[in-house]
Amino acid sequence: MTSPGIVVDGVRRAFGDVKAVRNVTLRAQSGRVTGLVGPNGSGKTTLLLMLASLLAPDAGEIRIDGIDPVADPHAARALIGWMPDALGAWGSLTSRETLIVTARLYGMPRPDAAARADALLAEVGLVDLSGAPARVLSRGQKQRLGLARALVHDPRVLLLDEPASGLDPQARIDLRVLLRRLAGEGRTVLVSSHILAELEEVVDDAVFLVAGETVHQDRLDASARRSRAWRIRLAATDAADAAPQVAAALRLTPEFVGVDRRDVVVSFDSDATAAAALGELVGAGLPVAEFAAAQGALERAFLDLGAADVPQPPGAASALADDPAAAPDAASDHVSDHTGADETEATS
Amino acid sequence: MSGQRLGTIVHLELTQRTRSVAWYVLLSVFAVLLIIVTALSFAAWGYAEASGSGVFSTIVYITLLLIVLVSPTLSGNAINGDREAATLAPVQVTLATTGEILLGKFFAAWITGLAFVAVSVPFLLLATLAGGSEPATVIVSLLVLVIEVGVIAAIGVGLSGILARPLFSVATTYLVVAALVIGTLIAFALVGFTLRSEAVSHYRSYDYENYQGDTFPCMPGEVPAGDYPCDDDVEITCGEWQTSVYEVPRFDRVWWMLAANPFVILADATPTTFNEDGYPVDLFGQIKTGVRGAQLPPELEQQWDDCAPYQAQDYPTPEEIVAQTTPSWFVGLGLQLLLATGLLWWAWVRTKTPARRLPPGTRIA
Repeated sequence: MTSPGIVVDGVRRAFGDVKAVRNVTLRAQSGRVTGLVGPNGSGKTTLLLMLASLLAPDAGEIRIDGIDPVADPHAARALIGWMPDALGAWGSLTSRETLIVTARLYGMPRPDAAARADALLAEVGLVDLSGAPARVLSRGQKQRLGLARALVHDPRVLLLDEPASGLDPQARIDLRVLLRRLAGEGRTVLVSSHILAELEEVVDDAVFLVAGETVHQDRLDASARRSRAWRIRLAATDAADAAPQVAAALRLTPEFVGVDRRDVVVSFDSDATAAAALGELVGAGLPVAEFAAAQGALERAFLDLGAADVPQPPGAASALADDPAAAPDAASDHVSDHTGADETEATS
Repeated sequence: MSGQRLGTIVHLELTQRTRSVAWYVLLSVFAVLLIIVTALSFAAWGYAEASGSGVFSTIVYITLLLIVLVSPTLSGNAINGDREAATLAPVQVTLATTGEILLGKFFAAWITGLAFVAVSVPFLLLATLAGGSEPATVIVSLLVLVIEVGVIAAIGVGLSGILARPLFSVATTYLVVAALVIGTLIAFALVGFTLRSEAVSHYRSYDYENYQGDTFPCMPGEVPAGDYPCDDDVEITCGEWQTSVYEVPRFDRVWWMLAANPFVILADATPTTFNEDGYPVDLFGQIKTGVRGAQLPPELEQQWDDCAPYQAQDYPTPEEIVAQTTPSWFVGLGLQLLLATGLLWWAWVRTKTPARRLPPGTRIA
């Protein structure tokens, strides 16, 4: 079931003096959704262009379901569904015509192409707009059309560049469900995104790209061992008032307890420490309403890799947990031992 | 090469063109221009016995002129315009090959240009009905017109694949087309006037000043007649031979420069009908006479002798000029086709994916 649908080994690509991709090695398994995470200019789009058989790497190997897109682009293209970060739509064509033309370019007979277009329009929720020219579509609607276009020929490998940008919340949920289903059908799905919280809910694996290089697993493991921030909110208590109570319960000096808006922020060096601390807070009789990692695992890793200029919350030393689900699980286990705590989990 | 994918690309291009209002405005303006030109042509060719052939050739020329003026904008941004609009890459990732994309865009641009020819058809019919047009002239001239539209389309599509910026490639297409249309003419004139030869003219006049008599002497070869009472008995004295040296341009050495001119090809390739005096009946023939006449070397030694019996200078008629000179349209057309295919091939190299080199400052998608 998990054979690599995408294999990239030591791929490099420069544009003149600009080394867009320096050294990328990754595996994306079939039947799984792999997230491609990295800041602007880290080479995500360039990498996807090489995977989509549009750009030749300067060095390194790419295999799409075992096929080299540089040596045999024709065979690779039959397998690849590529969705660019911005849909270049034929402005005067309707959504339905756009899909039919694309299907025809994949060699589909006309009746099949029309049927496929109608099915995809229903899939991405554009049936009402199937007769509208693409130029009147909103950004989110264009994204959905772009996704439908990438799916026209039932590809085995999906390369999606920022598919969620511009989508409304409902469309994002639909996209998530669709991506899970496509992976469930045994396809390889590679998704790049900036919206890390969004990505977190759909990906099985994540690949980090910083300055054109994939981040080595050792570095991710190392950063996972660093302390990171947790948000604590006490029921019906202002954060300023809650901070001393939390500090007292955890026997911490006040400077280790920060305040961010309505939350108290405390750093713990591991999930186990955090779980123990929750026990102490509840044991001290504090009305803990929320106790959760301040950031999603992807976001923590992303920021920890020093890749982004995103301002970090106070005390946030972030890392990617080996298992993103570990922290919430530990917390709930802990809570189940201490009745009376009204705990809900929330990710920022 | 798949016919279905090629057809889909042509269809895609034409659908986008035909859905823009500007396109119909352009065709309407063209039709209005042709109405005016047709009316004026009938007036201008009114002196001819059968004015139809003259009007026909004028309309064909005006059509070619307008296509030359409009076509670069229709084809000169085919590839790089799509790249800027991010609609090229989505086609490149499908099974459509680079060759199919280029050829599809070329055919679409060609068909678009032919729409202008289609608009001119009613006017051409009108001219044909006016009489005087030979079937061979009609068929060959239209065939050449259709090919020329294709050549311009290919140049535009080729340059749009070679150059990164649409504005720049449209301008370059205009320059290349202008080089063929006007550049050849300028080169012909400038180089022709630069390559000069020395020509000598000898002249001897009758010496009037030394003549004392009251009667008007008969010139050599003249005999007195009732309305021309010259004096046959006077012996005329002749003046000294005078020699003047001057320079003449040598267009006969540069005439081939005009061979690749679309307007010249159209004239040179089209069979010409001459009237009983040996003069062409249409614009094709007139331009052909002018171009072919340039092949004739100038007279470098001329003699004018007033004392010798007058000899009628035997200037060749247009029909004789055409008959004794060499046609060049196939050379010119061959060069144009070579240029067009060369540019398309270069564009193919530049547009091929997976791309190794990108034009500076461009994104593939």
